[in-house]
Amino acid sequence: MTTRLEKLEPIVGPIVIDQLRRMAEQLGSQRLVHVNSTRSGGGVAELLSSIMPLWSELGIDARWEVIEGDQNFFEVTKAMHNALQGFKVTITNGMLQHYLEINRRNADRLEFDSDFVVINDPQPAYLIQDMRSRARRWIWRCHIDASRPDRKVWRFLREAVRQYDASIFSMPSFAQNLPHPQYLVYPSIDPLSEKNRELSQEEISAVMERLGVERDKPIILQVSRFDSFKDPVGVIQAFKMVRAHTPCKLLLVGGEANDDPEGPRIFAEVQEAARGDPDIKVLLLHPESHYEVNALQRAADIIVQKSVREGFGLTVTEAMWKGKPVIGGAAGGIVLQLRDFNTGFLVHSPEGCALRIRYLLHHPEVGTRMGRLAKEFVRNHFLVTRNVRDYLALMILCDNPGHRTMAI
Amino acid sequence: MISADQPAPNPFWFHECIVMTMPTGKKAANLRELLQTLREVDESVLSYHLWQSRVAIAPPDVEYLNDFVAWAANSLQDSRLAEKLSVIDPFGFENLQEVRDNLVDTLDEYLWDLPSVPWARPGFEFHFCEASVVVLRSQISARTLSEFCQALTQVSRNSIYYHFMDARWRLRSMKTDDFSNWIVSSYDLPDLVSALQGIDVWFYTLEEVRDAILNLVSQYMEKTDDNPPRET
Repeated sequence: MTTRLEKLEPIVGPIVIDQLRRMAEQLGSQRLVHVNSTRSGGGVAELLSSIMPLWSELGIDARWEVIEGDQNFFEVTKAMHNALQGFKVTITNGMLQHYLEINRRNADRLEFDSDFVVINDPQPAYLIQDMRSRARRWIWRCHIDASRPDRKVWRFLREAVRQYDASIFSMPSFAQNLPHPQYLVYPSIDPLSEKNRELSQEEISAVMERLGVERDKPIILQVSRFDSFKDPVGVIQAFKMVRAHTPCKLLLVGGEANDDPEGPRIFAEVQEAARGDPDIKVLLLHPESHYEVNALQRAADIIVQKSVREGFGLTVTEAMWKGKPVIGGAAGGIVLQLRDFNTGFLVHSPEGCALRIRYLLHHPEVGTRMGRLAKEFVRNHFLVTRNVRDYLALMILCDNPGHRTMAI
Repeated sequence: MISADQPAPNPFWFHECIVMTMPTGKKAANLRELLQTLREVDESVLSYHLWQSRVAIAPPDVEYLNDFVAWAANSLQDSRLAEKLSVIDPFGFENLQEVRDNLVDTLDEYLWDLPSVPWARPGFEFHFCEASVVVLRSQISARTLSEFCQALTQVSRNSIYYHFMDARWRLRSMKTDDFSNWIVSSYDLPDLVSALQGIDVWFYTLEEVRDAILNLVSQYMEKTDDNPPRET
């Protein structure tokens, strides 16, 4: 049977796979535990699903533990998540006490003795309080844009995080004032997943037909939740400016943002802006429609992610991986991924977005070149193998604190 | 010219490195803050933004020479400053303190003549980072120039970076590198060494650096039958 590493080898190259094997070999038999709050749904669960088989193939004894909590607990952690992203939320002392109690209960329930523990996000952060002796090194992995966290919530969380041996952030701007080494590990995508694997033309056409998307004009696509930070209304404005000059159609694909108080209003605005326009299609898909999203991205001519606020922007990474020209809002990690005329275009307004769409429609050869460069950029920096490599390097560095250069 | 199969006294062992970026938490929102922070930060921060970032997160096409130039151009949108900073070649100095002095002097002089301090838009601040590095010995070595060329095509980009760029800082001599040192100690090829050290790395991606080195070494090698690199 072909292993995942063997399947990844033709995609990332034998040098990369060989490097992972050598690093793992140098580390020797290590035990690693990842802890998060859900087995499915969301980027963290997706990453862990991709990474776990690779650990096993590399000889790392890895486990994935999921904490359990009641509805109140997850309401508190959702509020904490929003507060870390800078939103004003009310979190009472009672809510924080409940959060601590659930962490304590999980500490009693979870059974592991490990060399390394990677705790993902705030939900299980306080496990360290009761479980410190159960692992040699504790690493906190923050996937959230914590560049402007709410002071009260961060001060509460910091009490736990400061006890860790290291923390990991996704962007330099998310780093915090902490008494231990902080590392940058960019998020990644799995090229073998349903969302990113290669599809045949037949598979793509079948999905288009099933979703009722005609391919009679160039397709502009944005895949995102219908919330204000993704600016779907701005995309429609841009599209209408383009269509006044050049025939094309717009696909807005995503799900409603149920946890965003503005979500229903934004979705209503999108429907209103798209009403009566046969060239605009709004598709509400199930959150697990990865295969369909893959096909839509591969069928599109230009992919837009006109965010006005963004964490890292993995939808941009996914679009780049499909070799498409991508136009993104100049926000968060999109700025890191898209470089004008190189790996994509950055824009700051609906007008800018329209300008770049028109440019690409008239210069498809430039779009093809940018798509090729974008795919190589992703191959080198944003695939799951790089994430595994970074974790291996981190384990080596964590075991040798104080060494800025570690030769193995 | 030298025989492609003439053995060197000691083989060249290829290493590779993983550069792990470490945000310092310090940031600059305008040019004055950049200048002030540049005066204070550790040299490890300078080396990160001058060359380590090239392997940590390398664009597929090199447009700007280092992070400071890119920030001036993209975030301050000050092309004149980007042009001025582009002239500073870190490998043209004896050490990082001299590079820092030159950067600081250039920025100070530039600010002196400006009527107002240029600001980056929110979200485009300069975030100062440094790095920790894990160095791995690869399983590839070369004992002849022929093996060296074959090995160069097989090693990772990180390996090219480690031996050709990182080496200048590591060896405390900005003007030499591991490849040049090996050739100096193995063969009487001063022109090749000089040509290697003359490669203007700042405008090349690591893949292009690899090709440039291969091209140069090939020119000084008498062709014989292919000799595969040593793997142990």
